[in-house]
Amino acid sequence: PAMAARLLLRAARPLLAGAGRGTGLGTALSTAPPPEKKRWLRAYLELQRLQAPPQRRSEQPNWDYHAEIQAFRHRVQENFSLDLLKTAFVNSCYIESEEARRRQLGLDKDAVALQLQDNTALAERGLRFARAYLAQCFEGAYPELPAKGIEALVNFLTSQELVSYVAQNLSIQDLTLCRDFPAPPDVLQRTFLAVIGALLESSGPERTGIFVRDFFIPQLIGKDLFEIWEVVNPMGLLVEELTKRNISAPEPRITRQLGVSTVLPVYFVGLYCDKKILAEGPGETLLAAEEEAARVALRKLYGYTENRRPWDYSKPKQGLAAEKAISSN
Amino acid sequence: RYVRQLQRLQLLFSPTAADARGARQFVEEAAQDFARQHPDVVLYVSPRSGPGPAPVLRAEYLNGTVREELIASKTSEEIVQLATKLANQSGLDIIRIRKPFHTDNPSVQGQWHPLTNKPSILTIQGPRLQPQ
Repeated sequence: PAMAARLLLRAARPLLAGAGRGTGLGTALSTAPPPEKKRWLRAYLELQRLQAPPQRRSEQPNWDYHAEIQAFRHRVQENFSLDLLKTAFVNSCYIESEEARRRQLGLDKDAVALQLQDNTALAERGLRFARAYLAQCFEGAYPELPAKGIEALVNFLTSQELVSYVAQNLSIQDLTLCRDFPAPPDVLQRTFLAVIGALLESSGPERTGIFVRDFFIPQLIGKDLFEIWEVVNPMGLLVEELTKRNISAPEPRITRQLGVSTVLPVYFVGLYCDKKILAEGPGETLLAAEEEAARVALRKLYGYTENRRPWDYSKPKQGLAAEKAISSN
Repeated sequence: RYVRQLQRLQLLFSPTAADARGARQFVEEAAQDFARQHPDVVLYVSPRSGPGPAPVLRAEYLNGTVREELIASKTSEEIVQLATKLANQSGLDIIRIRKPFHTDNPSVQGQWHPLTNKPSILTIQGPRLQPQ
């Protein structure tokens, strides 16, 4: 009876495994290969798995493009039209590579041409809107800042590194269709701007403005003005600004000094206008301290100090809507 | 605005194993409600047949971290709690935090340096003239 039971069991197990395999083939093949029993083979296969080149997320198991795009829409809490969003993720390099692949496989001319549209038009619109909106934001928030400063800030915020960093953290690198993997930063920048363009077409300039504000302006937190804006001659710029406001030229005086005869001296140079203090800045040599004092004075004049009021995210700006509609068209 | 850091949850379990019973109950009862309450998380349910590894809930976050949690011999409610816990986390590594405090504004009036309260060279000190 024990022998009979064992034989029965041995007969039953392959049946169950067969049934399991039958039902398993119906579902998506999402399983890894079955774990090997030979210890030496396990080590070799693990090494192969670790040395395999990284693959796109869309080529790994468990991927549903439509569901991912819907999740992206909800994650960003914006209503898009899904067609515009899908076109926003299509890059021209992807279309070229797909057509080349189809031509290589020997299909007809009709089958070769894909029905997909590029995202270049959407990207351009998104870029123009983002630049215009950010420039207006800064003009409203820092009215004293000159045009070159605003341009430098906007260029920094729409630069490749920043936009591709934001895009990576919003999982756009999984959703883009592009030829190379991992997607290069200019492709990510173009895709993100195309997403902004798609949002502009779907929801209008107000919502898009709020979107741009929510994702780009926090990248300025903790950054100093002159890290972003390269100013070669701060003293000259300061003199210009003061003449515009009819204040006399600044007079630099040494306020404090420490360790003059040592290797690491510290000089504090103060800039005085009409014997009233304007700004004070430290430096290693007298020239460096004077330049730093000029920079501190410029920061105070433009209202971009460290202790300024933080950005106001509460109310959406109503007046921008009409101007945006005019400027983007 | 708040962006949920959890990208997708993959539920890998076996349809016949005994320890995946909670996972199967979760799929039958609570998975749809969970997916409806969290529309920005993609939930993949993939049964893997045959005597395979233990049932696992794999969470992928926006910064690329992949976290696997065993759900063997867990009830359906526990799996729901685990899933909501993963959905509310960010993808940062779970390591020891060195200090329980952090501030973005370490100094309000300006950090002290040795020259803060010292009178400068330009002050004139005398019996009647006040320093500036």
